[in-house]
Amino acid sequence: MSGPFRRPTRAELRNARAASGFLLPFLALFVLCFLAPIGYAVYQSLLRTERAGPLGIGGVTEAFAGLENYRQALQDSGFLAGFGRVLLFGVVQIPLMILLATALALLLDAASARWVGFFRTAFFLPYGVPGVIASILWGFLYVPGISPFVEMAGSVGWDVDFLSDGTVLWSIANIVTWQYTGYNMLVLIAQLKSVPSELYEAARIDGAGAWQIALRVKLPLIRPALVLTTVFSLIGTLQLFAEPMVLRPLSNAIDSGFTPNLHAYNEAFTGNNQHAAAAEAVLLALVACVLSFGFLRLVGRRGGEDR
Amino acid sequence: MRPNGPGRRTLLGGTAAAAGLALAGCGGSGDDGGDKPAGRKKGEKISLTFWSWVPGIEKPVALWNRENPEVQVKLEKVSAVNGAQYSKMHAAIKAGNPPDLGQIEYTTIPSFVLDDGLAALDEYGAAEHKSKFVGWEWDQSVFGDSVFAVPQDSGPMGLFLRRDLFDRWGIDTPATWDDYEAAAEAVRAEGGWIETFSATNGNRFAGLAWQAGARWFAAEGDTWVVAVDDEPTRRVADYWENLVRRRLVKTIADRQNAWYKDVQSGDIVSWTGASWGDALLAGNAPDTAGKWRVAPLPQWKKGENAHANWGGSTTAVFKACKYPEDALAFAVWLNSDPGSVKLLIEGGYGFPSAKSGYSAADLEVRKDFFGGQKYSEVFREAGRAVDTSWKWGPAVDTLYQHLGDAFTEALGGGGSFREVLRKVQRQTLADLKEKGLKAEAG
Repeated sequence: MSGPFRRPTRAELRNARAASGFLLPFLALFVLCFLAPIGYAVYQSLLRTERAGPLGIGGVTEAFAGLENYRQALQDSGFLAGFGRVLLFGVVQIPLMILLATALALLLDAASARWVGFFRTAFFLPYGVPGVIASILWGFLYVPGISPFVEMAGSVGWDVDFLSDGTVLWSIANIVTWQYTGYNMLVLIAQLKSVPSELYEAARIDGAGAWQIALRVKLPLIRPALVLTTVFSLIGTLQLFAEPMVLRPLSNAIDSGFTPNLHAYNEAFTGNNQHAAAAEAVLLALVACVLSFGFLRLVGRRGGEDR
Repeated sequence: MRPNGPGRRTLLGGTAAAAGLALAGCGGSGDDGGDKPAGRKKGEKISLTFWSWVPGIEKPVALWNRENPEVQVKLEKVSAVNGAQYSKMHAAIKAGNPPDLGQIEYTTIPSFVLDDGLAALDEYGAAEHKSKFVGWEWDQSVFGDSVFAVPQDSGPMGLFLRRDLFDRWGIDTPATWDDYEAAAEAVRAEGGWIETFSATNGNRFAGLAWQAGARWFAAEGDTWVVAVDDEPTRRVADYWENLVRRRLVKTIADRQNAWYKDVQSGDIVSWTGASWGDALLAGNAPDTAGKWRVAPLPQWKKGENAHANWGGSTTAVFKACKYPEDALAFAVWLNSDPGSVKLLIEGGYGFPSAKSGYSAADLEVRKDFFGGQKYSEVFREAGRAVDTSWKWGPAVDTLYQHLGDAFTEALGGGGSFREVLRKVQRQTLADLKEKGLKAEAG
């Protein structure tokens, strides 16, 4: 190790130059596409619009508002209700989806699986459909009068409404599950593939059956992937937007603040109040941060106790 | 919102300078300063962009471009679903790159004026064109000392109904809202539905309140007066709540897939709509051609003749436009030139704002769909009886959103329609104050 006052050698300088050369493109894009927009959003969230002249038609000026926008967002019951809704959604949908993805991944990874390539692609395919298109497709399958499901249920005397107050959240959960289960499955499969096959052989020699290998060997080994997919799903859930946005005209149960993101969007583009929307977006990002890192800490601690 | 008297004058010049400061503050474009744009030099060729969604508007634009080689208008179609076009325009103003011209409905003009996004057209001699248009429609875009848009069309309301089914079931055309309720019962008894109460259709609800005599907005001095929760609106809310609670009307959204299906199949047999609805019905339920008729809106009292307007829009020039004189010339031509109006009528816009340049017969474009009825007469009569003192206020889109949310909640069992009005009144006042405006309850 060199002392603190030694001059760097030429080779070290060259290395440092090379390193910064490699880092620069990343840093530039990171600042441009990540830090700058966040900084701008925070800046916007601290402003408010002031209007001059009688009736306010004499032009607009922007003034510093402090945390006023945040105060208003936190007092807006519609905005807070949206958080309640996505959290409920997450508590139910994320475990369900991860469970399903894990089951599918284990099935496809099992020694006795057939046509693995075909099924893997088939399960993954919905992920290739953009969220808006998926919502439109499912919308047609939900709307009474067009939906074959509603008609079939009606013909056996069962009056279902996928878009009512009590059901629409779970209809959206269905779309999300349909779309992302395959993606999560693929992440899990990738992790399963990296497990050396010697481990399975050893387990088999020790007398473990297929069930035991899956539960005792495979599951603990793909734990990091499970944590990763859960965190991604958590963030995705908080940012729920396209599905309620597309289904809104079809349903009497989706209001303009159904999810926090939808609320912020409408604040910005219907209410033309970008400053309030920026504050809401920053709050949403904070909640996502707290929940994600909270979850990571939680599973991290549990993981430590196991060992 | 008309200037209230000679004593009160809006200081447009002074405030434009303030706007310039504001834009400099957020790094906006330089076009929006207090200076008037220099305009086009003689012989200079320019191109103006125009955002619109009106079906068939390509044709008059093409005609203009043929006749005016120096001022070419580039039409860009924008989506009008859920107000997406206005989101786009507001965002473009904020970003400093709006189009030169835009299609904007009467309801939304105030929010763009408040956003300081539109050019005050009186500075470019708009006043001399006023006589070409229906007076009250022109006045809808007058704020302070200037007009901010050229009216294109209006939407007098009327009742579209399936004559064949009404006849088969022995139901008369309802002349009053009481008749309408009886008709709703009779239609229901036959297994159909007379109508749907769409929670998110704020436009229509506003129209019905308008007909009942409501005045949601007024400008008194420098204060916006808001009265969403007034007596006439309560009457309308009570009336429809009764129909909804008795399950005499559906509660799906109108003009969405499920509704089109119901209209095609005859499950829904009438629609409280507006003059531009002829193209909508004919286009989406072609198999029902010949079976529809148009009747005047049912009245609150027998023998009254109260009517309302739903929709209708204008051509506005954005403040950032570099050639406002030419843009204004196009806007006036588009909405008053006989050749252009004829093409717009064919395309299926609303009721012309132009006073002349077309004949009554020109408007009966879809006569066959209405079994030969001269249906435009109904709308013309309604248009003449529209209470023209109705004014729109700022942030109507947000008001509709609140209304939609509150009705959505009420339909889901969360409260009465009267509570909806109280809530929306409260929210609208809060919104206006939040926007830095003086507002009080009317």
